Formats: sequence, structure tokens, C-alpha cells
Amino acid sequence: MTAVIQTRHLSKSYGRVQAVHQLNLEIKRGCITAFLGRNGAGKSTTIKMLLGMIAPSAGEGTVLGLSIRDAEANREMRRRVAYVAENKPLYGYMTVGQTIRFASSFYPDWCADRAKDLVNRYELPIDRRVRLLSKGMRTKLALLLAFSRRPDLLILDEPSEGLDPVGIEELLESLAGQAAEGTTVFFSSHQIAEVERIADYVCVLERGRLMVDASLDHLRESYRRIELVFPSAPLEHDFCISGVERIREHGCAVSIFASGNADAVVERARDLHATSIEIAPVGLREIFLETVREG
Amino acid sequence: MLWYKAWLETRTRFLTCLSFLVAILVFFVHHAESILPAKSNGYELMFYAHFYLAALWVLSVVLLGMGGLLRERATGVSSFTVALPVSRERLVTVRLSVGVLQAVALAIVPWIAILLVSSSNGRPFPISQACFYVLLLIGGGLVYFAVAIFVSSIVEGEYTAPAVAYGVLILVAIVCGSVSKLRTYLDLWRFITGDRYYNRTTHLLSGPFPWFGIACCGCIAAVLFLGSLRATGNQDF
Amino acid sequence: MFFKLTPTTGQPLYLQLMQQVRHAVETGALQNGEQLPGIRTLAEELVVSPNTIAKAYSELEHEGILELRQGSGAFVCVKRRVLNLRDHMPSVQRRIRDLVDRLRDDGLQDDEIRRAFEAELLNPVEVARNA
Repeated sequence: MTAVIQTRHLSKSYGRVQAVHQLNLEIKRGCITAFLGRNGAGKSTTIKMLLGMIAPSAGEGTVLGLSIRDAEANREMRRRVAYVAENKPLYGYMTVGQTIRFASSFYPDWCADRAKDLVNRYELPIDRRVRLLSKGMRTKLALLLAFSRRPDLLILDEPSEGLDPVGIEELLESLAGQAAEGTTVFFSSHQIAEVERIADYVCVLERGRLMVDASLDHLRESYRRIELVFPSAPLEHDFCISGVERIREHGCAVSIFASGNADAVVERARDLHATSIEIAPVGLREIFLETVREG
Repeated sequence: MLWYKAWLETRTRFLTCLSFLVAILVFFVHHAESILPAKSNGYELMFYAHFYLAALWVLSVVLLGMGGLLRERATGVSSFTVALPVSRERLVTVRLSVGVLQAVALAIVPWIAILLVSSSNGRPFPISQACFYVLLLIGGGLVYFAVAIFVSSIVEGEYTAPAVAYGVLILVAIVCGSVSKLRTYLDLWRFITGDRYYNRTTHLLSGPFPWFGIACCGCIAAVLFLGSLRATGNQDF
Repeated sequence: MFFKLTPTTGQPLYLQLMQQVRHAVETGALQNGEQLPGIRTLAEELVVSPNTIAKAYSELEHEGILELRQGSGAFVCVKRRVLNLRDHMPSVQRRIRDLVDRLRDDGLQDDEIRRAFEAELLNPVEVARNA
């Protein structure tokens, strides 16, 4: 599968603060990839570097095969990429209709029919100025500008912010629809439940570093929480097996969070005569929290 | 569509300034001409009218210089503009061009109004003189606009840039005013108001048209415009 | 035809969909020759990635349960093995009922029985054997 986004050692520092550190991303074509991370983890900075809005401090990358460091290539790339920034920026002095006309003039892949359909579906008042719209309507308009196109790549920064549950459901449906047309979707989100349903791949960023980069199916199959009870308190180093990420002990009870190799842990537990072995799947929320929180 | 956007962005500001300028000057000229003695040809009046126009024009033009990516960053909209598939140079150039056209309009339209008013009051003013005034104002005055554009490219904030630009212009005026050597060569204000070429006897602007002075001003303005292009090209949004 | 995919059960969504399609075919909810929704339609309806649907359909085609016709969609084409399975389902259900009754007699709660089954089925070795 070809990579739509590829970065090598991409870094950005502001003074002594490293916002993004040696990022090696590979986003696959035709897939929906979610970008998770705490506030300030570097997600928006990374996205802006990919789009040529922020100059990287080090490293390089390509989007749709075009280098992010080259201004000319960048411009060509932005023609084929639809981007909605975190704060859903729009010009307050334009009306809804003017905004749509303005945006449509820049992109050859604009679908006027789809735009019209979305205006009706979202019930946006065509002649009202953007600064007079409610937050929800502004969010929908910003998303409409992206979904009225058939771009090669769709990048969304926190798209569900400002949407009610119905809006979020419609958003996810639109993402599924875009992906079905062959658009690669790359979006950052805090809505883990939504990510868990719609994403094919997940990248977790913490303090500018890539901590997890895997397919959601792989995470579902590999990550396990193993609850063990022993006749007497075991030694922690008994469970220094590859795949074990975190061990919590409470007297004779041990809770192990493993990113893989659950069989080996179970076997070791049996060897140590565990009185109770329970294996449970781990949801994305728990994977995320265990990855970003300090031990 | 970038021109359309720049127009929508500055439309209210521009039309307000234009109406204000035209209204004030028409009122001034009409009222002043009605109390002029019958023998006076009113040319001296035009000099004062242009003086007021120049002052208001400079104030307006600094306001027109407001905008750009840095201001959009302060208001949270820069991510939209910068993500468009256009070069940063194009963004700055279009904004600049719309501003220059508006500045030119702000110089010409009030003068047309003045000419019409004095003509209807029976005190016609030579059009060549009017052109002299207008060209001095635009040719020299664009430096003020260029300063405003440059400041808006390096100072962030919704209203900070024009405030700083006003401050810079006042500072330069004070400095130029206090150093007499500078005053002779660099007093832009005397240049655009026509004070340098005003003949106190005939009350007309005389002498060869100062193309060299205009060219120098043009160069300064160009340098400032290039500076803003460069600054915008290097910034992170 | 109603499918429900649960993202939190530790099983990839495409496997869940495959199981549900197989179950529907076994119980007769999906008849031979019936057409399944298109990839895009089903993805938007279930609000999951179309790649999930595509993978499930593709795997089911390998198993011989579905036939993917270019341009038309996915059609159920039940082969011998599955027909046999459908005949066996009632006896399978009877065996499960007997086992659960016996475990209940031994004193196990329903929750404990469920957890024990899940733990056994989640073991990847077990999953590989059945695939």
C-alpha cells in the first residue's frame, strides 16, 4: 500500500520546547487513520507542518508524493488536500453563500451538487453572515467546505468539537462516505469512542513522540488486560516478558496490561500456580490512557 | 477570488472613510466658498482643502493597511487562508493591490467632489492643478500606506498594528521635524500637501512636477512592500 | 438484515461482521442468492470504515459464503459446507444448552459462565484454529 503521508525525523522546537520530536509517520492510502493525543501533544503542529503552514525545525516529509519543504510543491499539494483546522476558521464578514463560492473557486474537485445538498441537510442560512452563526452551524459550514470536495486526502483537526451527538454521527457517516470514494482520511480527535468505530489505523502522540502506530484490528487482537491471583505475592520480575507494559500489584492480586504476547503471560502465570487467570480485551480508551499517563 | 475576499474584508472601512472624506471636504469647500470675498478666485482655499484631505487621507490609509495573515492569526482565521492553494506572495500582493486602489480612490474621488462643488459655486479650479495635488498625495502618500502594510506584517493583534503604525508615523514626523537638515529633504508631509511647491502669490502649485521625488517615494514604498512579503513568507501560521 | 458491530470486545470489527453474516446464512435470515448492501452503503449505515466491510466481504468470498460480482455487489452463495452447518445448528444449540445447564447446576453464575467462554474464545491460538 502506498503512503499518502510520509515523514522522516520530522521535528519542531520552539526555543527549548520540543513540540514534535523525530516523527516517522506513514499514513496509508485509502484508509482512515486517527491521530490521538493529549492537548499540547503536538498533533496540530504536525498537521500544520505537513501542510506547509509551519516550517519544520528538522526532518522532512512528503504528502501525496510532494515534499513539504518545497513551497511550490506544497501549493500543488494543498489543491488536492481538504483541511479543516481545529477552530473551524471562517471569515466572519462573509455570508454562508459567499464563503461557499469563495472556497469552491480554489479547488477543481469541488462538487456543487454535493454542496447544495449539504447546505439543505445542515439547514444553513445562505445569506446570513458567518459571524452571526451559532457555533454548531459554523462547525458544519467548515466541514461542508471539505465534504463538498473529492480530495485525495482529507485532514481534519478535532472535527467533532462543537457538534452535538447527532452532528458527530453525521460527521462519521461523511468520513465513511469519503473513504468509500477512495479519499484517505487523517483526523485527530479526542472522541475515542468514535475513533474506535471508524478508524482503520491509530497513531498516538505524546509530548511530540509517536507512541503507538498500528492498525486498530491489531490493537484489538493484541492488547489484553490479564488479572491474576496467586497463593502468595509474586515478584515483579517474574513478569518481565516482552509485551508487558504495566504491572500493578495488590498483595496477591496482579493486574497486567500487555500490548501483546498474552499467551506467554498466561503460561508464566500457570507455571507460578496462579489460582485465578482472567483475560479481558482492552478498549482504545484504556490503551490511550495507559500509553500517555505516567506510571 | 482573493480580490473579492480583500474587497469584502475592507469594504466597510473603505466606504466609511470615503463617505467621511467626501462629506467633510464638500462641506468645507462649499461653506468656505460662500463666505469668500467676491474678487478672490478661491485658489488659496483649495490649498487648505487639500491640506485637510491629506491629513484625513493618511489617517484613512493606515486603517486600510490593517489586515493580513498576522491579523487573521490574532482573530483565529489564518489557518483557513494559509491552507488555500495559493502562495503567500500572492496573498500579500492581492491585499496590497486592493489597498493601493482604495488609497488612490480616496485621493481622487474627494477631489472630483471638490471640483464639482467649486464649479457649481462659480469658482472653477484648474484641473491641471487638481491633478498636481492628487499626484503629490498619491505618489508621496503611498509611503504611509506602505508603512502601515509593513507594520501589519510584523505586529500581531487585531488592532495593534494600526496603533503601532500611527505611533511610528508620529515618531518619524517628530524626528524629521526637529532635525532641520532632514526636514529639507525628507519632509514627506510638506511634499504631499504641496507646501513645497505652493506659490504664495499666485496660490498655485508651480514648478516642474517632481517626478524624481515621486520616484524616490515609490522606491521607499516598494522596499517596505518587499519587506512585508519577506516577513509573511517566513512566518509560521 | 441487522448487523451490530461492537468496537470494545477485543475482536476486530471485520471478524464480527463475518461471524454475523455467517450466522445469518446459517439460520436462514440470509437466503441463497440474496444481495448484501454495498460496501459504501453498509459502511455509512453501521458508521464504520469501508475497509472493514471490504475486508469482511473479501474474506467471506474466500470462504465461499459470498460471491462478489464486479459492479453489482455481494451475493450470498451458500456452498455445501455451510448448508451442512445449517442442518447442524439445532444440535449445536442443544449441546450448548446442556453444557450451560450443567455449569449452572455446578453453582456457576451466568456472568461467570459468560466470562469463562469469552476468556476461552479470546485465546488467539483458539481463533487461529477456527479461521
